[in-house]
Amino acid sequence: MERRGFIKKGLQWAASLLGASFLAYPAFSFMTFRKATKKRIVFHPEDQAGAVTFKEGVYLIREPNEIFALSAQCTHLGCTLNYDAVSGRFACPCHGSVFTLSGKRVSGPARKDLYRVPLTKTASGDIEAVLEVG
Amino acid sequence: MDRGFGVSFPGRIISRISLYLPRLGLSALILCLVSGLVLAFYYRPMGNVFQNVEEITTLVPYGWFFRQLHYSAGQVFVILMLLHTLDHFFRRRYRIYALGEWISLIVSLALCFYTLFTGFILKADQEGVFAGRIFMNIIETLPVAGGAIARLFIVPGNSFFFLPYLYHSFFLPLLIIYLMRGHIREWFPNERFLLSGGIGLSLYALFVSPRIDIPPDASVAVVEGPWFFLGIQSLLKVLPSFLAGLVVPGLFIGCILVLPAAGHALRALSFNERIIRIGETGLYCLLIISICLYAFLTLRAAIWGP
Repeated sequence: MERRGFIKKGLQWAASLLGASFLAYPAFSFMTFRKATKKRIVFHPEDQAGAVTFKEGVYLIREPNEIFALSAQCTHLGCTLNYDAVSGRFACPCHGSVFTLSGKRVSGPARKDLYRVPLTKTASGDIEAVLEVG
Repeated sequence: MDRGFGVSFPGRIISRISLYLPRLGLSALILCLVSGLVLAFYYRPMGNVFQNVEEITTLVPYGWFFRQLHYSAGQVFVILMLLHTLDHFFRRRYRIYALGEWISLIVSLALCFYTLFTGFILKADQEGVFAGRIFMNIIETLPVAGGAIARLFIVPGNSFFFLPYLYHSFFLPLLIIYLMRGHIREWFPNERFLLSGGIGLSLYALFVSPRIDIPPDASVAVVEGPWFFLGIQSLLKVLPSFLAGLVVPGLFIGCILVLPAAGHALRALSFNERIIRIGETGLYCLLIISICLYAFLTLRAAIWGP
């Protein structure tokens, strides 16, 4: 009799948990859904003059042989990096990570190198960087 | 109200302090809610939020006053709430109350700090934006569903400030008021505390200007988090984010929550009285050491930078 009561109670608990998860899972999926969006950052010819240009979270770097873009967000916890023209390095103002001009991690708590942002050049001479958000 | 320590002179002073401070704190809460209600008429969490906050401070009539009143009342309320909790903790009063009361005190304090933190994000200046990003990235380090859980609190992109705003102005105040309903019923309305709190905080708001807000894209050598997270900011420099941002604070809050239950649990496991006392006191001492270490880290970061 006691065992039957225990099994009955267990089944009741399992049924309520199942019922709750039927509601909780769709609710969680709804609440955490985000549509992936892309942000376009346009560097006009006049923005491309300097060796390192910052615009809306992206560093455009002009080197003798190539032009590339790096995300300005630190790979540790996302603070925007500062460019130090004297040392030619990027430094994080929050936790002190340091990266080279090509985006390689030098020191600090960050473990990954900076993300390279894909670039496209338009006919009018603009350079477009596309950042994925969300 | 007899609190059992009215005999000696320092006892009387402590008794008075622990009687008055939380009541003064509740007056600050009322002022914080009222000033927040006023600010909500102009504050918008979408679009250029930094510009919106600057307009409140410099353009909207008396905006600077309400912003400063809201800020100071919130800080005073949470600091007094922290002192109230420390008062209960250091005098080990959690042993004489029901476990549920202790848990609701600690949970309310944690929610109060979260409210202060969301307010810090909602300033939308550089330190606010960075704090929001750090918070999001730390939650994302949670295994399995970290990314999804982070999106319950904050999302990148155009709606970055929306969820912190929803928590700051809706969920958290409701929850805090619900958890404190007993105290609010018991202590309010008390004109003396409301008047003294109102005069003090209004004078502060009148004569102390808000700090200059730094735009999110400015280049600044060191960016600091809110004062209560300076210790964690220092830890994040040397420990992995998951450990410094989630495990350490989570363990600390968990240990404080179960502190009154430690004795009961050991008793239920039929340990002898001596072991029970050692276990309970051991956990209590460990928490005191942790509080002192965190206070040291915070002070060190406040003086020499995080």
